[in-house]
Amino acid sequence: MDDRMRTWPLLEVVEHNPGLKSFYFETDSEVQPGQFIMLWLPGVDEKPFSVSDVDDGRLEVTVKAVGPFTRKLMECRPGERLGLRGPFGRPFAPAEGPPPLLVGGGCGVAPLRFLHRHLERRGLSSTFLVGVRTAADLMFREEYAGGLAMVVTDDGSLGERRLLPDKVGELLANQTYGTLCAAGPEVVLSTLKKLAESRGIPSELSYERHMKCAVGLCGECCLEDNGLRLCVEGPVLRHPLPR
Amino acid sequence: MANLATKVCGVTMDPPLVLASGILGVSAASMARVVRCGAGAVTMKSCSLEPRAGHKNPCVLPFEHGMLNAVGLSNPGVAGASKVIAEFRTLSRAPLIASIFAGSVQEFGRVAERIAEARPDIIEVNVSCPNVHSEFGAPFGGDFDATAAITRAVKDAAGAIPVAVKLTLQCPSIGRMAKVCEDSGADAITAINTVGPGMLLDLATRRPILSNGVGGLSGGAIFPLALRAVFEVRRHTGLPIIATGGIATGDQAAQMILAGASVVGIGTGVYTRGVTVFEEVARELGDWVDSTPERSLEALTGAAHG
Ligand SMILES: Cc1cc2nc3c(=O)[nH]c(=O)nc-3n(C[C@H](O)[C@H](O)[C@H](O)COP(=O)(O)OP(=O)(O)OC[C@H]3O[C@@H](n4cnc5c(N)ncnc54)[C@H](O)[C@@H]3O)c2cc1C
Ligand SMILES: Cc1cc2nc3c(=O)[nH]c(=O)nc-3n(C[C@H](O)[C@H](O)[C@H](O)COP(=O)(O)O)c2cc1C
Repeated sequence: MDDRMRTWPLLEVVEHNPGLKSFYFETDSEVQPGQFIMLWLPGVDEKPFSVSDVDDGRLEVTVKAVGPFTRKLMECRPGERLGLRGPFGRPFAPAEGPPPLLVGGGCGVAPLRFLHRHLERRGLSSTFLVGVRTAADLMFREEYAGGLAMVVTDDGSLGERRLLPDKVGELLANQTYGTLCAAGPEVVLSTLKKLAESRGIPSELSYERHMKCAVGLCGECCLEDNGLRLCVEGPVLRHPLPR
Repeated sequence: MANLATKVCGVTMDPPLVLASGILGVSAASMARVVRCGAGAVTMKSCSLEPRAGHKNPCVLPFEHGMLNAVGLSNPGVAGASKVIAEFRTLSRAPLIASIFAGSVQEFGRVAERIAEARPDIIEVNVSCPNVHSEFGAPFGGDFDATAAITRAVKDAAGAIPVAVKLTLQCPSIGRMAKVCEDSGADAITAINTVGPGMLLDLATRRPILSNGVGGLSGGAIFPLALRAVFEVRRHTGLPIIATGGIATGDQAAQMILAGASVVGIGTGVYTRGVTVFEEVARELGDWVDSTPERSLEALTGAAHG
């Protein structure tokens, strides 16, 4: 896999919940947690997705059906060939020192799950918190049964009934973390950024924008205030920001 | 280091490196960032009278020797583009080139009139995009009479704002085409747009990868073609040339200057070398100028013509 488009066989599909599936592809690439790939359904379209794990030569993306493309993807079966380009973008780079706090909201759980596993495989510890509206939105639910991650839901259908930023505030108040790494809705991210600032720790936040070329040319995913390209300088931005 | 500041149609570009149209030229913030990364001027994405949606993905494909794109001239229309110009002025003092396209001679005039109200430093006329055949027929840039008529219409509408015509290689003679533009009132020539269109197939599905099937070729693969085009344009006209096509190094920029370019445009180089390609090429170009007996960019412009 590289910047050029090529189709790869879909090895396996796992359904987590209705409309929420993981897709596994054979891969020959080094991918870092936080990076994304462009997934092409020939004849349909091509869209960005975070990598949710790479293990044993298998690349995993985890997708929620929200519109025409993602619904079409849900119909794909093992053996079909889909296009992949990538990996793209700046990955998570937690600072050395105290373990990081990893926070995933909604579909933002996907890259944080990869980061959590990646650190674990290197013998590094981290605290992992996931938050969703309701239990049915949660990716990898089965993995958290053993207490791997703390779970909060808006409606209390699973784990603690808490809003994600409240829980993060509590954790930051009670323990020292090296970096706050997070992905999720942008309103949540801006709250988390302020929380990290108030504690004096750096934050590594993954943002989503509409993306087209994924190679830093089309300008579609540039941030309004500083012109940074989320497909190149992001999707994970470290605060304070680069030029 | 050598002074690289260059005047084109009365507009000073320092360094003489311009962001090419269609690359990061959709928002004021992204163009301002390109200036912070070393560009001496920016060109906006081409705009039309009304907003246009582009082609579906995949629409930009890197490959071994360059890039294939069929973005489909998506743009917010001339009204949206005018707002971007106003916003850019609050962020940066670098010159801004507005790029326009249209489906008829009259419409080119109308878009030019509207964009002129937003006071860009230069209006670039895109008569050469290979991606919109089905709707607009063959590109105007292949036809001497059509290009002449468009140039006159835009000049009439642009008032005091200088007009650059952006040419394609896909015409009987790009040198003669440049001369036609000069005779019709053009103030500068931009050469060249993407080449093609070209195609890339996926072996598994046996279908084109671009959603549009075909797309314009840019990047390293077209550098020798663009260089030859600039050389010919210089032979046929005295107009300043914005040389664009496959440039990503100071060596390539220097070759363009020798062939007759006043300033150099960079598009795909933003991908191959990163967005700081502008400051890197500026440094390399400066080193080259310093290493020549002339030690002056102006004296080196067109030196390949002896
Ligand atoms: C860096 C990045 C990582 C992502 N990671 C994941 C992931 O791990 N799992 C997951 O389920 N989704 C992820 N997404 C979102 C995913 O790309 C969209 O859900 C998908 O493109 C929707 O397409 P659609 O046709 O099904 O829905 P649409 O009806 O087109 O859109 C539904 C929603 O998705 C957004 N969207 C549409 N197209 C794009 C696009 N090209 N880029 C970004 N957002 C878009 C829309 O704004 C809208 O909010 C990621 C997006 C980005 C930018
Ligand atoms: C993604 C992309 C979009 C482009 N869009 C436009 C456009 O809107 N108008 C235009 O005149 N040229 C457009 N071009 C052509 C470039 O401005 C330039 O002429 C061409 O790519 C050759 O230069 P390069 O090799 O440095 O990219 C586009 C090129 C690319 C790669």
